[in-house]
Amino acid sequence: MIEQMKEAAHVLENQFVRKWREDGGKVVGYSCTFMPEEIIHAAGLLPFRLRGIGTTTLSIGDAYFGPVICSFPKCMLQLAGQGIYNFLDGAIITNGCDSMRRLEECWRKASEDYPGTLPGYYEFFSVPHKAVDYSIAFYEEELRDIIGTLETHFRVTVTDEALRKSIRLYNEGRTLLQKLDSLRFSEKVPLTGGDAMAILIAGHALPREQFNSMLTRIIGDLERAPSQSEKKKRLMLIGSASDDIDFIRVIEDAGAIIVADTVCFGSRIHSYQVDGEGEPVHALSSHYLNHSICPRMLGYYKSRLAHIMETARKAKIDGVILQNVRFCDLHGSENGVLERDIESAGIPCMRLEREYGPLVETGRIRMRIDAFMERIS
Amino acid sequence: MKRETREYNYDWMIWSIFNAGAKALDGTQKEYESLMNVIPSFRTLLHTVLRHGKPGVLFLKMLLEYLDELMSAKREGKKLCLGTFVTAKHIFYAFDNVVPIWAEPMTVFGTLALRKATAEYMDYCCEVGFTETSCSAQRGSLGAYLAGLADMPDFMICGAPGICDTNANAIQFMSSYLDIPLFQLNFPAKLTEGRVMDYHRKDLRAMISFIEEHAGTRINEGKLRDLLEEQRRQDELASELYDFMRLTPCPVPPIFQLFHYGGRLTMPGRKSYTALLKSMLEVARKNAAAGVAGTASGKERARLLMCYIDHYTTDGRFWEWLDTREISLLPTLIFNFWHEGANYAAGKASETYHIDTSNMDTMLDSLADLNSRMPMVKQLRGPYDAPHMWLDDLLGMSKLMKPDFLVYIGSMGCRNSWGINKLLQRDCEREGLPTMLLFADAFDDRVASWESIMDKLNEFMRVRRISA
Amino acid sequence: MIAAGCDVGSLTTKAVILNNTRIIGHSIIRSSFDPGKSASEVMDKTLHASGLTMGDIGFCVGTGYGRDRIPFVGKTVSEITCHARGARWLLPSVRTIIDVGGQDCKAIRLDAQGNIAKFITNDKCASGTGRFLEVMAKLLGLELEDLGKLSSQSRNPITLAATCTAWSQAEVIVHLHTNTPKADLAAGINDAMAARVAILARSVGCEKDVCMTGGVAKNIGVLEAMERHLDMPIRRLRVDPQIIGALGAAVFAREKMTLS
Repeated sequence: MIEQMKEAAHVLENQFVRKWREDGGKVVGYSCTFMPEEIIHAAGLLPFRLRGIGTTTLSIGDAYFGPVICSFPKCMLQLAGQGIYNFLDGAIITNGCDSMRRLEECWRKASEDYPGTLPGYYEFFSVPHKAVDYSIAFYEEELRDIIGTLETHFRVTVTDEALRKSIRLYNEGRTLLQKLDSLRFSEKVPLTGGDAMAILIAGHALPREQFNSMLTRIIGDLERAPSQSEKKKRLMLIGSASDDIDFIRVIEDAGAIIVADTVCFGSRIHSYQVDGEGEPVHALSSHYLNHSICPRMLGYYKSRLAHIMETARKAKIDGVILQNVRFCDLHGSENGVLERDIESAGIPCMRLEREYGPLVETGRIRMRIDAFMERIS
Repeated sequence: MKRETREYNYDWMIWSIFNAGAKALDGTQKEYESLMNVIPSFRTLLHTVLRHGKPGVLFLKMLLEYLDELMSAKREGKKLCLGTFVTAKHIFYAFDNVVPIWAEPMTVFGTLALRKATAEYMDYCCEVGFTETSCSAQRGSLGAYLAGLADMPDFMICGAPGICDTNANAIQFMSSYLDIPLFQLNFPAKLTEGRVMDYHRKDLRAMISFIEEHAGTRINEGKLRDLLEEQRRQDELASELYDFMRLTPCPVPPIFQLFHYGGRLTMPGRKSYTALLKSMLEVARKNAAAGVAGTASGKERARLLMCYIDHYTTDGRFWEWLDTREISLLPTLIFNFWHEGANYAAGKASETYHIDTSNMDTMLDSLADLNSRMPMVKQLRGPYDAPHMWLDDLLGMSKLMKPDFLVYIGSMGCRNSWGINKLLQRDCEREGLPTMLLFADAFDDRVASWESIMDKLNEFMRVRRISA
Repeated sequence: MIAAGCDVGSLTTKAVILNNTRIIGHSIIRSSFDPGKSASEVMDKTLHASGLTMGDIGFCVGTGYGRDRIPFVGKTVSEITCHARGARWLLPSVRTIIDVGGQDCKAIRLDAQGNIAKFITNDKCASGTGRFLEVMAKLLGLELEDLGKLSSQSRNPITLAATCTAWSQAEVIVHLHTNTPKADLAAGINDAMAARVAILARSVGCEKDVCMTGGVAKNIGVLEAMERHLDMPIRRLRVDPQIIGALGAAVFAREKMTLS
């Protein structure tokens, strides 16, 4: 079962997506955690989080984006330009960060040169950077607008009932992922960080109904599984977008196990439930703004630090790797302050800036991981 | 940071240099000459500014007034607030006990006046954990604050969320690192919709409450009214200046762009800025009447429109180069403030702000509208080719001002503009506008020196037969 | 008790042989594409010069990028740890080690007990590495060694835009065209290099005593510029700074033998 999750983590158009499409289903890609998957789901569409894996060149990515841009959206653009994302019926690009938001224009313009690579439904969606009553109200209205565009394009109706149903389904998934977290935090960790990451990524790449049932069975198996953490250093991974299992493998090969994380694509967004009782769009707006631990939410450093320290305590970690993709100033800078504050709490940290995409830097990363392991041993 | 750099506070050094510079022409010629010997790193710039006569003197005196207030704030028991240049300053000047510090102008002062610019302060940011890839416009001065080499702010305002991550993030970093209270003004991707305007207005009121809480005083209604009335007068003067810039040859000297937006960013609504604008207009009027360009020779060989910002490295050689090459500088794109009646806003009334001083509510609404049209805030909030955004503004301004070429320069930290400037260039070229992207940093000579930038500019002009 | 250390770096491969506390042999060769071959070659060379055979070596530790491909080592240790160990073995009072190799640059801070308290490496960029100096020396038509010596003759060092090696080349070419004296260029290049590396050193919280290891530490121009930037003396090591990683590995090998 976990193998299917791994396949979904390694292949973009995985078997579940193919099946969904063969059955006549439509797929809508989205670029960041601030787009509520519940809304796409309630419209009867498959939400699929955009990624940049499997890129071997940046010939298209570099032709539109400038040189000092994060390689994550560049890789996405590369894949889009190559037609790898032609299985999408729609895409929603959010202003998760400045590199990502410029993907909207770059993809749109690249499609003029690479015809047929832009999904029929294509929207830019801006999300507030603060969580206060008027920003939640504003975001709620924006969400209603995006629902309207989905309804018009795909000729569907998104009812409150459908939204509530989707919220319930995704909340079930959140409960399961919280269980997975607690297994990772336990004394005898039954799965590697790589496998955990594969499951977390698959959550954004296959229909939630199937994901939930598969995860239920996986958790059942894991509760009886032998420990994978014997004699290993327990690490926590923090920072920007990380959906590269090979990167996790390089870390774990050095004698570590990643037992907790707050990375984008990882255990970032399932710690809280969406209110299933209230008005659904308002509930989603409030949830997505109030419970994000992304540094794009400006001025909430202390609450993010508190979340990290609480997770570190629960997971009984030996060290922290603070990573970011180069040119991600939001995470890169926050990692600087986090390093100071986490180290002062007695937990060793290592900062690592890297490129997204094929692991061309394995040697360099390994050297640092090894030295860090030697330091904490 | 070297020991000698730590000897003096950064803000004090900037103040003392400008203090000497602004008074340079108050004395005799002999005194002026001996002063030049004690400010070797500043004298080229001083000459560049002061040779423009009254506007140059008024520009320096206006900046000195700003820096005087900064340096005396603590002594007078006032509160210091650090923010970024994209926030309208009137709000702060309307308090009796708040003095604003603006990260980017503070960087530019150092970039222009210090021998090694702000390099050591920028590097210091990296040493304490801030990313090297962040924008140099903030890093220059922030390094001094992070190192404790300046009068420290009591609270901070982050005016760029939604506009520029790296700018907003710099303020967030400093707030987290030094544990200083922070308020953020946030901007949606659109500009003119009712919902968005409502959001701006609520956000601005929340900011004022935050300032009131940390300053311990209320915003002064009378003062605010005076500031906004004065702003209206300044807008009228700016409109006239913009009309002159349309003329061929352009009678406005290149460095007047810096005077115009430098004043608008630091001392809007203040009398000293009005005086500066008036004196700039006198020069423009005189040149226009004589039919000469604003360049030193009075000739205009080409018209340049900077499609983002200008270049600010040591000595202000950018403006001097324009002058010697007889190139007129048209309104630098993001430093257009979109007041009602501006020539570039003709037919675009919804994109402008209107000042209504009837009561506190109308004033705050006016301020929110004004604030949401500040540099970058206006053009960079949404997709570059969406209505009212970067491309729209650039093509509109080009149609009006008729540049011979466009040049982009920004900073290495500018994800927002480097994310799409190739697309922008392509669109402009399709419109017949020769457009050049400079891989350089407007605030950091170490990325590319002014000499190599000049080389590239000259080559571009040669290849594209501009001012042949 | 004879122990050895072998450091397979990206540009050079080094070996050190220790007889108790005495260095009895060391060599440096250019790395080939095959790390295993480079390691064997440098080891053979060192053994030969010391009049020893592989059978005389009690234990050998490998380090460097190619450490996992060395056929004759009993253990591998990362080069960060090895540089720290080697430097401390030579200079027990050392607290900060700045290692500038061919392809990367590291700053390491030790606590009072000699454990690594913090380290940082530069991120995927040639500026601030030996490669930067190599490129620049070639551009000036100089041998790498002369770049350092030439610094002292400079009267008016250039300020070099040095955030990127590729762009720095363009800058240097502009200066060459304007006939700037080579000494001034060399001094500017060394200073730019030192400034980049000093940021790393200060990022780990540079404390006295400071030493420099790696090939670039042989460049007196960079060394002196670094002292100015850090405002601290840099303690000179009594052996070739390029072999400190291999020395650290040999020290680990010796400790391993002592323990067993």
